Amino acid sequence: MQLERLANIDRRVVYLLIAIGTTLPILLPIGFAVSTTPPVENLYHKIEGCGTDDVVMISFDYGPTTAPECTPMAEAVMRHCFSRGVKVIVLALFPIGGVTMAGETVENISAEYPHLRYGEDYVFLGYKDGAQATMKQMGVAFSGVFPRDQMGTALEELPLMQRVRNYENVSLIVSIATNVIGEWWANLVNAQFGTPVAVGCTAVSAPKYYAFLDTGQMLGLLGGLKGASEYERLILDGYPELRRIYNRTGVYNAMKGMDAQTVDHAIIMIFILFGNIVYFLIRRRDRRLGTA
Amino acid sequence: MFWKLRLPLALTFFVGLVPIVTFFLTERVFGVSFVRDRVEQYMVIIAGFALLLGVVNVVQGNVRKIERRRPGWPFAISLLTGLFVMGTFGLLSAFRVGPFQGILSAPDGSDTPFYWMTRSLFNPLQAAMFSLLAFYIASAAFRAFRVRNIEASILMVAAFVVMLGRTPLGEYVFGWIPGGHRWLPTFTEWIMAVPNTAAQRGIIIGAALGAAALSLRVILGIERSHLGVKGKS
Amino acid sequence: MAEAVGTWLGAFLTLCIFSFLYRDNPFFRFAESLFAGISLGYYIGIVSNNTLGPNLFQPLFTDFSGRAHLLIPMLLGLNLYTRYLPKIAWLSRISLAVYIAYYVGINMVQKLQGEVVPQVGQTIMNPIGGTYTPIDNLIIIVGVLAVLVYFYFSIEHKGVMGPVSRLGIWFLMLGFGAAFGYTVMGRVSLLIGRMNYLFLETVNATVAVF
Repeated sequence: MQLERLANIDRRVVYLLIAIGTTLPILLPIGFAVSTTPPVENLYHKIEGCGTDDVVMISFDYGPTTAPECTPMAEAVMRHCFSRGVKVIVLALFPIGGVTMAGETVENISAEYPHLRYGEDYVFLGYKDGAQATMKQMGVAFSGVFPRDQMGTALEELPLMQRVRNYENVSLIVSIATNVIGEWWANLVNAQFGTPVAVGCTAVSAPKYYAFLDTGQMLGLLGGLKGASEYERLILDGYPELRRIYNRTGVYNAMKGMDAQTVDHAIIMIFILFGNIVYFLIRRRDRRLGTA
Repeated sequence: MFWKLRLPLALTFFVGLVPIVTFFLTERVFGVSFVRDRVEQYMVIIAGFALLLGVVNVVQGNVRKIERRRPGWPFAISLLTGLFVMGTFGLLSAFRVGPFQGILSAPDGSDTPFYWMTRSLFNPLQAAMFSLLAFYIASAAFRAFRVRNIEASILMVAAFVVMLGRTPLGEYVFGWIPGGHRWLPTFTEWIMAVPNTAAQRGIIIGAALGAAALSLRVILGIERSHLGVKGKS
Repeated sequence: MAEAVGTWLGAFLTLCIFSFLYRDNPFFRFAESLFAGISLGYYIGIVSNNTLGPNLFQPLFTDFSGRAHLLIPMLLGLNLYTRYLPKIAWLSRISLAVYIAYYVGINMVQKLQGEVVPQVGQTIMNPIGGTYTPIDNLIIIVGVLAVLVYFYFSIEHKGVMGPVSRLGIWFLMLGFGAAFGYTVMGRVSLLIGRMNYLFLETVNATVAVF
């Protein structure tokens, strides 16, 4: 009977341990080191190879549900582009909060680079319905689906958009995605227009996207919070002046989040092992008693 | 019969062919780019109307619930209140009425009412609802993840390797061996890049062929469920 | 102050949602119903501001004669709502047919040209060469074929098919195990964000006020 009680521990005990395992590293940071992997390094090197004439399009295809993973990715990529003087076009195709995430990120990151000018160095197109129809029409002309930017300015009045008409003028598309929109950039836009695509995705989608990485449809992949922390590590190594931003106390970033991630993974693995040990002990006891 | 079934089926066929034909025909064929661009622009607008279809359904259902005092009817009031307040703020923002200057920050940097509600209510509610999944996955993993056969063992080993290798913990497992701190992360990356890719590729090919076959059935009118009609066998 | 009030409100609603972990209660049900209503209201806001406004109504009002063709998608879109009027609900089939047919057509090309062809093409490769070792390339080729054999249900998995489909299952288990590990990572990340909001952002906002 004791074994059965161990196998059926009240789920609220599990919840409590997970809550403690998540909260303590946030309040008392551990500072685990982060190592990088090739899919993340590929994206970093691609943007490193871009200059002031290049344009990177960042598509916010996620919402508040996956913001803890995706916002650090978006911020790191945008900081990287701005630090190199690469021009950035921001848009959102995810209806459940995409434009809000994009607006917050553009506002926060552009404030860190006061010398950059809206309309010349970066443009925020806003959100548009239609997803695949929007993606296809942007291959012809951005103004076909985005007649105005998020602030209501006609696209032809923005200096950057006067020379960037469609995907042919874009060096790289980075989609920060929570669902299928990320793979649509690869299997629709990259497949039909040839524009290089990289995706930063929630960890749930990452295993599938390795197949697209292998075919070259995605040139880089940031998978989950780990991917975000790797990119932050890379830009900190390449741009030490960003340390003042990432070392701010009380401000969340992916590297800090990895502390809690590590502790929670350990708790869940211990629970799985514990559950299986109890399961095997029950089976062995039942075989001995002849009740198996 | 013509208007209710034959016309929708004919439209399904011809409109369904537009993205396929325009994909293969070049710009030099007269009218291709015109048709393609017009249809794509129209679809963006129709998608906007389609996204709001659920609003009518939800309002109807909850009004009925309140009228008939069904169990949980007070919560229908909070639902409708949230919907109407947020929706009204959104519509006023579209017309730039008074303080409702858009759905993000106002030109002076302050939050517009719609943005304030998004950041104070929409974002926390969305995020909190989905963060419950962390608790559920831990509980489910403890209660249901049992190694009963070879296949489950393979699954568990792969899961453990990834859960360890994708965190800094993975570097400490063999970190006591000189050069060993990269073994587990490298092995994890290999699992993702080779056997996982093979499995995912097989799934992608199978699912994509199935989806393409279903698309063909819809375009040819064999599959009619999207019109609320039983298909041809 | 408005920002702090908003943060406190968000923290209160987060705790209402979390209260469900103990048991179902009126606070959770209130937060849940508010969540549903606010989400739909949010859709109204973004669609009217970002799509219907700039792409439909503004062009029609500023240049009606030149943009009169936009009445076509407007009528098709409004026609979708006739489904809620029983006597003329059949009219909505016309709009549904157009809307669904277009995306079905895109999907077909997308799946074949964007998924099947590249994925099959990358599998039909010379094992000696490329970024991976020959053994890795062979593992990928064998793995993809084994998984496809497993998914072929038109022939019984006996004889030669049996062990090959068994191998396919093992590859799938490896893939699902990796997916489970990543899913745990993904779900835990969401909780990390909420805890950060409750314990850091809310505290910071409160300190800023006082």
